[in-house]
This record gives sequence, C-alpha cells and structure tokens, in this order.
Amino acid sequence: MKKAVQLEKIGWVVFDLLLLLLGWIFLVTCTSAKDTFPDPVSVFSMLFTSFVKPIGTYTMWGHIMWSLYRVMVGFTLASVTGIIVGIAMGSSKIAEAIIKPIFEFLRPIPPIAWIPLAILWFGIDEASKYFIIWLGAFINVTLNSYVGASRTDETLIGAARMLGAGKRKVFTRIILPASMPQIFAGLQVAMSSCWMAVLVAEMVRSNEGVGWIIIRGTDTGNTAQIIVGMITIGVIGFILTTAMSWIERKVCSWNTTL
Amino acid sequence: MEHNAVKQILSCRDVSKTFYGDGKCTEVIRHIDFDVTENEFVVLFGPGQCGKTTLIKMLAGLEECEEGSISLENEKITGPRPDLGVVYQTTALFPWCTVRGNIEFGPKVRNKDKKETRKRADHFIDLVGLKGFEDSYPKALSGGMRQRVGIARAYCNDPRVLLMDEPFGHLDAQTRYMMEEALENIWQKEKRTVIFVTNNIEEAIYLADRIILLTNRPASIKQEFKIELPRPRDYVSPEFLKLREIITQAMDATV
Ligand SMILES: Nc1ncnc2c1ncn2[C@@H]1O[C@H](COP(=O)(O)OP(=O)(O)O)[C@@H](O)[C@H]1O
Ligand SMILES: [Mg+2]
Repeated sequence: MKKAVQLEKIGWVVFDLLLLLLGWIFLVTCTSAKDTFPDPVSVFSMLFTSFVKPIGTYTMWGHIMWSLYRVMVGFTLASVTGIIVGIAMGSSKIAEAIIKPIFEFLRPIPPIAWIPLAILWFGIDEASKYFIIWLGAFINVTLNSYVGASRTDETLIGAARMLGAGKRKVFTRIILPASMPQIFAGLQVAMSSCWMAVLVAEMVRSNEGVGWIIIRGTDTGNTAQIIVGMITIGVIGFILTTAMSWIERKVCSWNTTL
Repeated sequence: MEHNAVKQILSCRDVSKTFYGDGKCTEVIRHIDFDVTENEFVVLFGPGQCGKTTLIKMLAGLEECEEGSISLENEKITGPRPDLGVVYQTTALFPWCTVRGNIEFGPKVRNKDKKETRKRADHFIDLVGLKGFEDSYPKALSGGMRQRVGIARAYCNDPRVLLMDEPFGHLDAQTRYMMEEALENIWQKEKRTVIFVTNNIEEAIYLADRIILLTNRPASIKQEFKIELPRPRDYVSPEFLKLREIITQAMDATV
C-alpha cells in the first residue's frame, strides 16, 4: 500500500519535470524566446561539464562546497544562539520583557537591508557573509524556540518537580524537549533563509560560490550559466529542507502531530 | 487483631484557600481539617468544580495554603517534594520519554543508583501489567495504559504518600472497573498511604478505607465514612449497595 502511494508520488514528480522540459523546448524552438533564452541541451551539457571543468577558479563541486560551508557556519551559529536566547525568553518573564520587543522590531527587516552595515562592521570578506546568513536564521530560531518554551505544559513541569527535578533538570528534561517540535519548525525556516542569504551575500561580493556563478553569468552575458546556477540552487535547497525534515522525524519521533 | 499503634502521617490543619484574580475572588476551600494514618486509603469524594484538584495541589505543595497548614510527619509542606507522589487527572506523562523513561524519571533526576532504578522500574512495569510496552511512547498507548504508567511512575519514586486526582475520570466504564481492580491489587501488594480524589461513588466505596465527603464550592468536609467491607469488594453486594444509598443521601443533603 505505502509503496504504491510513494511510487505514484514519484511518478507525478517525473511527469512535472517532463512537462517543464517540454514547455522549455517549445519556448526555445517555436517562439521568439530562443533569442534570449538558451535551450535545454546547452544548459544541461554546461551543468554536467561544470562538475569537471571549472567555472572561474572552481568546479561546480567547489562552488557548492563554498556556499554550503558558509551556510553551515551561519546556520550552526544561529541555531546555538537562537535556541539559547529563545528558551531563556520563554522560561523567564524578565528575559521575555527585555528581549522580545527588540525581536519584534528586528523581524520585519530583511537580511539584505543589513548588507551595508555588515560590510561596514565586518569588512567585505567572509565575516560579513556569516553575519548576514546568521542574522535572518537567528531571529527565526529565537522566536520559534521562544514560542515552544513558553507553551510548555505547566502540568508537566509540576509533575517533574514533584518527582524531584530541580530547576536545571526541569529545563533540560522538560522545557527543552517540549520545545523541540517548535524549535525544529524554526530550524527548518532558518535553513531556507540561510540558503537564500548565502546567495544574496555571494551576489553582492565574492569570487566563488553558487550565487557568484549567477552574477558572473550576468556580467559575461552567459544566460546558460545563470540557469545552471538557478537549477543548482533549487536542487541543493530541496536537499537541505528534505534532510531537515528527516532529522526532525528522527529527533521528534515521540511527537503525536508528526 | 492489629495492636500496632496507628501512626499519623499527614495532617491537614484548618486549611482554606481563595483565588484572587481579575478583580473577583473565588473561595474554593473553607476550613478543611483531617488527618491520614500510615497506609490508609482515603478518598476525597465531592461534586465537580468543588475544589478537589485545588486541595490535591495544596497537599502536593504545588499550591500555597492561604490559611492553615499541611504537614507530612510534623514537617510543614512548603513546596513540591519527591516523598509525595502525584497521579494526575489528565495523564501528565512526558511524551518524549518511553514508558520506561517515564517510570524511571524520578529516580534518575534524583541520581539514584542506575541498576537499582532499573530493577525497581522492571518490578513496577510488571506489577501494573505493562510488560512488553517498555519502549513505547505514550502516544501509542490507550488511556488505561497511560494511567498505569502514571501509577507506576509515582510508585517507582518510592513516595511516602500517593496523591491521585481522578486518575480514572477520563476512562470508559469498562476500563475504569479494570483499573480500580488493578489499583486495589497494587495497593494490597505495595501498601502506601493514598489520598484519592473522585466524584464517582462506586469508585469511592470500592477503594476507600475512609471516605471524606466534601460539600459544593467552597469545599468543606460534610461527613466522613469508614468503609470496613472486606476486600476485594463486590459492587453489587447488599452491604455495598446500602453504603451507596447512605452516602448518596448524605451527598444530596449537601446540595
Ligand atoms: N488558579 C486559579 N485561579 C482562579 N480560580 C481557580 C484557579 N484554580 C481553580 N480555580 C477555581 O476553583 C474551582 C475549583 O476547581 P478545582 O479544584 O479544579 O475543582 P474540581 O477538581 O473539584 O473539579 C473552579 O471553579 C475553578 O474555576
Ligand atoms: Mg479536578
């Protein structure tokens, strides 16, 4: 039963891809789009050769690794800092009163708006990229962890205290696991926002990375290279979100809503 | 005949409680005063919303007394403490812990010996009939099984007094009978002082050594009944039915 359902799903995905490809072929053979838009053959041949033949200094692998490395640095920093600040806010009224308004104010400012300041503060190298990537994710993780921690069932806290848990154990054994599903919702969004932020950061200023491929393509008028970059971004983004959901299912297997 | 002196373990001295909030005050408990002897099974029996949960929370140290005091062996209860075990109305199991994780929670957070804890947990898992479910998460269990875990968790922490707040209130009648029988069985094997809250009269008579009948809110003690029927009790024996009649009448008089 389950297998059949999955096969059907995969079937539809294949169908979608074929439809997309057919539409693309139609556009570049029968309409005037062929003057400005590369055909699938040149795009895919470029995509595949890019893994062995460098674009700029690196092959596609190199660019992907650069981008992923930046994402991982920013994401890890954001997860650790966001979970700590968020849970502190959710479990202490004072921390909540002090920190929450600041976050409500910062939240609507898109990470891109921070780029000038980031460059001013951290220079044009890696540090400012990490800052941009960290920032958006940090706000998401913090707010989600905060909601998770502040919604922890009082009865469970009471039960743990009755069984002999002190403040620290209530925190590590009750509030933290109770917030996990919400924290993961935050991490999920944060992962996407990190991936987008890295591309923006690389487009603004860099010599390598998937975002750079697109900017480089623009500068040299190489449309195929732009599309190769976009496809890569889509595929990597998809892999990252899928991996996050998989980890979430493993860590929160106790959760009834999953 | 037993000649051991009966030992007072818990005393509730003239306790009152009023909640103040949103500009209005709700008087919930009015001058409640009773003692419990060691290994006694006391049932607090009263109508819904009369203040039973509030009283249990005060006994547990989770809610402060406004007037009066509660003490365990002459020591005032001022906050939650592991020698008082609570079994909750809604299953307050930790959903991220397995059955075993829940049952071992108390001894683990109190840094008890690991081997000893495991042995104790195994013993109670067996006693409440959960063998084979050690690694299940609460979401996979039925309501009755969850309450079994709740009871085993309270027992495994080895409390002096067990406080149970309508633990079978949400179960269907069939499961409820089974759980009452199981609880009596466990209590016979592992004697403990129990304070059990219910608004079900059959449950009260089936389990109690003594029933404390509470009035409507604000709850105060209306009357006490010593139940001396031999255990296990028969729900339809003439003595049982007669007691039921007497208590029902006393209860109606309170309204
Ligand atoms: N924290 C609280 N603040 C205000 N009123 C409360 C609070 N807790 C309980 N009450 C009130 O006390 C009354 C008794 O509640 P409860 O002890 O839960 O009754 P029972 O368990 O007998 O059904 C209820 O009317 C409820 O509204
Ligand atoms: Mg209640």
